[in-house]
Amino acid sequence: MNLSGIALGLFSFGVIGFGFFWVIRGEYYLGYLWWPYPLLLGLALIAGSLFAPNAGVSALLGIAGASFVWGATELKEQAVRANLGWFRQNPRQKPAPPLVDLIKRIGAPHL
Amino acid sequence: MPQLAGLWMAIATFLGIWWGHVGVRWLESRSANVLPPALVLIVGGLGMNLYSLFAPSLTAASVCSIVGITLLWDAFELYRQQRRVIKGHAPANPANPRHAAYLAAPNSRATTENLLNREPSDPTEFDSMPSSGSLRRSASSD
Repeated sequence: MNLSGIALGLFSFGVIGFGFFWVIRGEYYLGYLWWPYPLLLGLALIAGSLFAPNAGVSALLGIAGASFVWGATELKEQAVRANLGWFRQNPRQKPAPPLVDLIKRIGAPHL
Repeated sequence: MPQLAGLWMAIATFLGIWWGHVGVRWLESRSANVLPPALVLIVGGLGMNLYSLFAPSLTAASVCSIVGITLLWDAFELYRQQRRVIKGHAPANPANPRHAAYLAAPNSRATTENLLNREPSDPTEFDSMPSSGSLRRSASSD
């Protein structure tokens, strides 16, 4: 019997849970226009997983990377939820991300 | 030789989350009773986690467990989605008798409108915080 799979399944569950936390906080303090940066971080983690020294480290990087990619797609919907009053909305102006004009032209992805 | 375990688990994690969002909405919207699909998800989730204990490789075990645990969560998420429909935070399907009852109930907050299907305000503009009625509608579907 091998418990490694269950351990990584639980790690995935925890990372997804953390994803909800940082998406809510990230949208509140930074705004949804920062979405390309967690997306790139997630893709970098997944790319890094290909060169990990062993399968365990590769698994941790891949799962964390996928969670960041998903979080990037969730930021826009979280911003709408805050607009609708379903979540607390930050009344202060949020910092513009680097390349903000390009990001606005691309449009944020969502599931 | 690249280490492919992480890539497989990334795919399993992303698809698990994707199904947890899109699939659960679809399933809840079309189920007259959420209990049968919830039971199927629970049995499927437990089965995949059981299999992961005896899977021949770490990758197979982990992919099965990741998908299995997300299926277990999705069973719970079906009920959370049902609550969102009742509160009007997710669109009701009038063709579904359960949803039709939510829509017909006195003082119902249920709606067929998808309130999330719109563009958010621009967070970099100080005066752009709109009330919910003034949000711009998106052409894309949710």
